[in-house]
Amino acid sequence: MNEAITETVAEPAQTDETVILKVNQVSRRFGGLVAVNNVSFSVQEGEIFGLIGPNGAGKTTLFNVITGLIPASSGNLIYKGENITRRSPHRIASKGIARTFQNIRLFGNLTALENVMIARHVHGRAGILSGVFGLPAARNEERATQQRALELLNLVGLGNRADENARNFAYGDQRRVEIARALALDPTLLLLDEPAAGMNSNEKADLSQFIRELRHRFNLTIVLIEHHVPLVMGLCDRIAVLDFGLLIALGDPAKVQNDPGVIEAYLGAE
Amino acid sequence: MAEFFATYGFLIVSMVLAAVLALSLYVPLMAGQLSLASPGFYALGGYITAVMSTKMLTYDSETFPIPFVLLEMLVAGLACGVLALIVGIPALRLRGIYLALATIAFVEIVRVLALNLEITGGAIGIFGIPQPFNTQIEYLWVAGPLLLITMLFVYRLERIRAGRAFLAIREDELAADAMGIDPTTNKVLAFTMGAILAGVVGALSAHFINTWNARQGTFDASIALLAFVLIGGSRTFLGPVVGGMALTALPEILRTLSGAGSLPAWLGEFMKDGRFIIFGVLLVIGTVFLPHGFIGPNLFSGSRGRKESRPLP
Repeated sequence: MNEAITETVAEPAQTDETVILKVNQVSRRFGGLVAVNNVSFSVQEGEIFGLIGPNGAGKTTLFNVITGLIPASSGNLIYKGENITRRSPHRIASKGIARTFQNIRLFGNLTALENVMIARHVHGRAGILSGVFGLPAARNEERATQQRALELLNLVGLGNRADENARNFAYGDQRRVEIARALALDPTLLLLDEPAAGMNSNEKADLSQFIRELRHRFNLTIVLIEHHVPLVMGLCDRIAVLDFGLLIALGDPAKVQNDPGVIEAYLGAE
Repeated sequence: MAEFFATYGFLIVSMVLAAVLALSLYVPLMAGQLSLASPGFYALGGYITAVMSTKMLTYDSETFPIPFVLLEMLVAGLACGVLALIVGIPALRLRGIYLALATIAFVEIVRVLALNLEITGGAIGIFGIPQPFNTQIEYLWVAGPLLLITMLFVYRLERIRAGRAFLAIREDELAADAMGIDPTTNKVLAFTMGAILAGVVGALSAHFINTWNARQGTFDASIALLAFVLIGGSRTFLGPVVGGMALTALPEILRTLSGAGSLPAWLGEFMKDGRFIIFGVLLVIGTVFLPHGFIGPNLFSGSRGRKESRPLP
């Protein structure tokens, strides 16, 4: 089945200036399981790029590899022309790649505001002593950090609940706090892992619009993993389909939707 | 009043020092690191004072000059800070209970070294450490400000960029890493700050106790400090302070009560001799019924407005 797919996967040549992230023959093995198998694609600057596939296809693993949480077994990742393959997660984050997590990983015992402020860490410079003594520079920085965090919480509609502990938020609201936290890094590339999970259909429709606004407002490139097919088809400029770790299709929504390999992966062969 | 201070001077200063030591455990815990290394650094700080004051520093005055005490505390803090970096960078690769075990091993190494080295006086230790004060309660002039400054420091730390990075690591190390916070650097930083605190307390304690040997700062102390933090509360800096003070005072209170006369003899005897049993029982009861400790984060939540949820039954 793979022979036929390679041709669909072949992309039109892209100029390197507009490529923000290049995933180059990346594989990740867990013992005998190949979770991501020799996957290559490029994400263009400013696009909304969808990553779909059945459960266990390796989408989240690929996110973890991109953000450095799991090292790639082979292959490499080029972000803005720089090889980030073996970088640690905080280094990758400080270069402008932010993410949310499929199984929400907020700092539960801290307030929503603190959660977002923490992600401003890389943009701060105040050290321990200047902070503890409340020197003017540290104070101003603290005020600016707080203000920025509040703006972002307002943006996701939770500004009035800034002082509540993150774990007291409803599931959908926790996802919003996670998005605000990711945005606090001032990323250029935002990775959203199933942002619509746990939302009702109205919320999903709003989410689509919201993600488009985010791209416009923050000049973002967005890669998102999503199961909800209508959302992905309506929102993404291009889509990559993973199945059992392999990239089986890549292209615009219409092309991917009609791809026989994709239909087979989702519905099974006739 | 003078009589009260004469009787309880030692206890009051011990309580204050215990509170600072408990905070030395709390700071690494802010970054989620259960380190029991404090007694090791405490012992080292004490030996630095003992050696400096008996062998190196000379003075003419009747009492040991207080600037020298401060100098010893500074040297102890620096030495412990450097040692903490050396120990912390490899040790903090370990997580949870394994880190606790490694730090206990460190405490044990310090003890065995102290017992066998010449400079530490071997098993006898170093005695006759000169006194900067005439009475024990006067140590409060140094210990009191030390506690207040430490409390203020930790209070502020929880509210600034550097401290929030610690809290983020405590909450979810992986997520903190993905948000641009370097877990290793921050863990080592928190560990080092705890070590400096413990070393400074040790430096003062050596004068206070007057003699320093390998029985100071051992594994027992690790457990006692852990109890201070667990029973007092590990989610706000007031927990360790209250825990350290209360549990240091407890044996004395029990002894006073046992001598009250109205109690049956066996109970009085038990309260006097069985204080470690009572200590242990309190630790178990405390962790079962008050998992966040006696002082929870909500007690003074006014300024931060935290709302705590109760787990559903």
